[in-house]
Amino acid sequence: MDARTRILSRIGHALKERPKALLPEHPHAPPSANPLDLFLKRLAENGAEGHLLGEERARKLLGELSQGLPGAAYGRGVPASFRLLPELPPEEAPLGVSWALFAVAETGTVALSSEDGRRAQLLPPVHLVLVEEGRVYPSLLEALLDLKALPSALGLHSGPSKSADIGQVMVKGVHGPGRLVVAVLQGSW
Amino acid sequence: MQAKAKLYPKEAAKLLREKPGVREAVTGATLHFEEGRKKAYGEIDAEAFRERAKRVKDHLLTHLDHYLELAEKRLRENGVQVHWAEDPLDAHRILREVVARHGVKRAVKAKSMLTEELGVNPLLQSLGVEVLETDLGEYLIQLLGEPPSHIVGPAIHLALSDIQRLFHQRFGTPLNASPEALAAVARKVLRDAFLTAELGISGANFLVAETGTLVLMENEGNIRLSTSLPKVHVAFVGIEKLLPRLADLALFLPLTARAATGQRLSTYVSLIQGPAKEGEEGPEEVHVVLVDHGRTTLLHDPEAWEVLRCLRCGACLNACPVYRQTGGHPYGYVYSGPIGAVLDPGLLGLEEAYPLPYASTLCGACYEACPVKIPIPKLLLTWRKRAVERGLAPIWERGAIQALAKVMESPTLYRLFSKALRGLPLPQHLLPLLRAWTEGRGPLKPSPRPFHELWKELEAEDGR
Ligand code: SF4
Repeated sequence: MDARTRILSRIGHALKERPKALLPEHPHAPPSANPLDLFLKRLAENGAEGHLLGEERARKLLGELSQGLPGAAYGRGVPASFRLLPELPPEEAPLGVSWALFAVAETGTVALSSEDGRRAQLLPPVHLVLVEEGRVYPSLLEALLDLKALPSALGLHSGPSKSADIGQVMVKGVHGPGRLVVAVLQGSW
Repeated sequence: MQAKAKLYPKEAAKLLREKPGVREAVTGATLHFEEGRKKAYGEIDAEAFRERAKRVKDHLLTHLDHYLELAEKRLRENGVQVHWAEDPLDAHRILREVVARHGVKRAVKAKSMLTEELGVNPLLQSLGVEVLETDLGEYLIQLLGEPPSHIVGPAIHLALSDIQRLFHQRFGTPLNASPEALAAVARKVLRDAFLTAELGISGANFLVAETGTLVLMENEGNIRLSTSLPKVHVAFVGIEKLLPRLADLALFLPLTARAATGQRLSTYVSLIQGPAKEGEEGPEEVHVVLVDHGRTTLLHDPEAWEVLRCLRCGACLNACPVYRQTGGHPYGYVYSGPIGAVLDPGLLGLEEAYPLPYASTLCGACYEACPVKIPIPKLLLTWRKRAVERGLAPIWERGAIQALAKVMESPTLYRLFSKALRGLPLPQHLLPLLRAWTEGRGPLKPSPRPFHELWKELEAEDGR
């Protein structure tokens, strides 16, 4: 007998007399007023920066973030119109730009797919995430129930990297980006 | 990990004598966590969330064989290599094989209590693999050669000055370097490790059976990096870590974050489905090792099986007035505090851990903090009773337990007794362990709620 068989048979034995517990249904998501307002508020509370912008102003924001920088690392889904700086490998880039799969208002979260990349989301000290306004879900439950296929890895980012492991003092940018900027893009893309 | 839980009373007294700073550091950190949790629970209908989470986990555990087989099937469909390990030896064999096949020289590790149980670091070192803990707190204690003292904050027993001294010796930073400067040094060392390691090792907070998704929570980004940059990722997952459905995460991720750190969600959550697809960044190989190591024995236990709901959030540690005095080291095993006191006797055998259930004032704060409503006070008494029955409890405890049992048996006596208690210092004669510690210190504060009220609630839970 292998380990698998032995473990499963011990479980079967352990559960023989145990009454089975029922699985509760998921709760109904509460109706939400304006997910975009809540999203921006939560981002700020999480220590990130959030902006609701049209394309022009989004490009302007990118221009500001890019000032004085030699280049940026880009996620695959980032449209050409947002690639203002020359592309650099993520290990060297001072800025990473990603295209989010979706966002969640109640937690102030952007969801980043491995199909967009991974290194650009994690290695540069500043991370700009672009997300379409139509992709902002009010709640995590609605987002997960709507998720049809999962990529190899999905990262939920809800703020800058942080740690209080050194003397209980909050330090930002410990391993991941110390600054997270989210641009919610108005209109359709 | 070699368990030394039997030595708890001695080790606790020794720590309090020799390292008085630990008490201060741990108390400060846990009170801070506890305050955050209370605030975060206050924002939601915490009772409803906890009850729902308990039910989902109870369902999972009472159908564990089904969900394990489902998870295994989904993982394989996703291209993940699935292994089963009954004990550390199995786990070592699996890891040794991966190391040999990929010629691993360097491994980066994301904080995982299970890998502490399994002794993953010593094994890797014996194979000549350089292994770096990448969680900042875990990195600090790795440099010091110490085990973690808290499930969530492994280095909470260290004061800033301890870390400044450590980095001064190791890296030549000034003795008054700021936390930012110290973190920057660690970031540099570990960034290099992420970029060069061939192997990433992690645990998991959850494994979703329906989709075969590994789920990991963190705040630093080191887990995302450890599971994204090296070409091989090995995840060790306790068999109790499963969840039935993907959407259950909408309950468990926020609830765990609120309980652990008072956050609405941890800064980073990784949902890992499998190896990178053609042309994608990410590991070529993902292995999941499903680990028993005492869990099926616990599942068999008609009372203690409930501890398998545990999410390892650390909230019960933060709430515990006894844990707060020493931190985790004197408990002598991976899991300390209230959860350690009820889990370790089950994982190690009561013979190896019988003093731990006595490391409590039965104040009930752990139960009220627990996001999955594990009846810790009740289980502490269960283990104490068993210890007495097996003649394991120290002599003084046998007397104390009998006295306590008498009081508990008579409702009137008990109510009187507990009323009296709430106005007074705790019954030091019933808690000889505490005596050594509380000398020259103020009395421990009893819980605002009497234990018999909590007990009633726990009994009612039982009847459902
Ligand atoms: S017993 Fe409850 S409070 Fe303690 S670590 Fe486990 S889940 Fe958290």
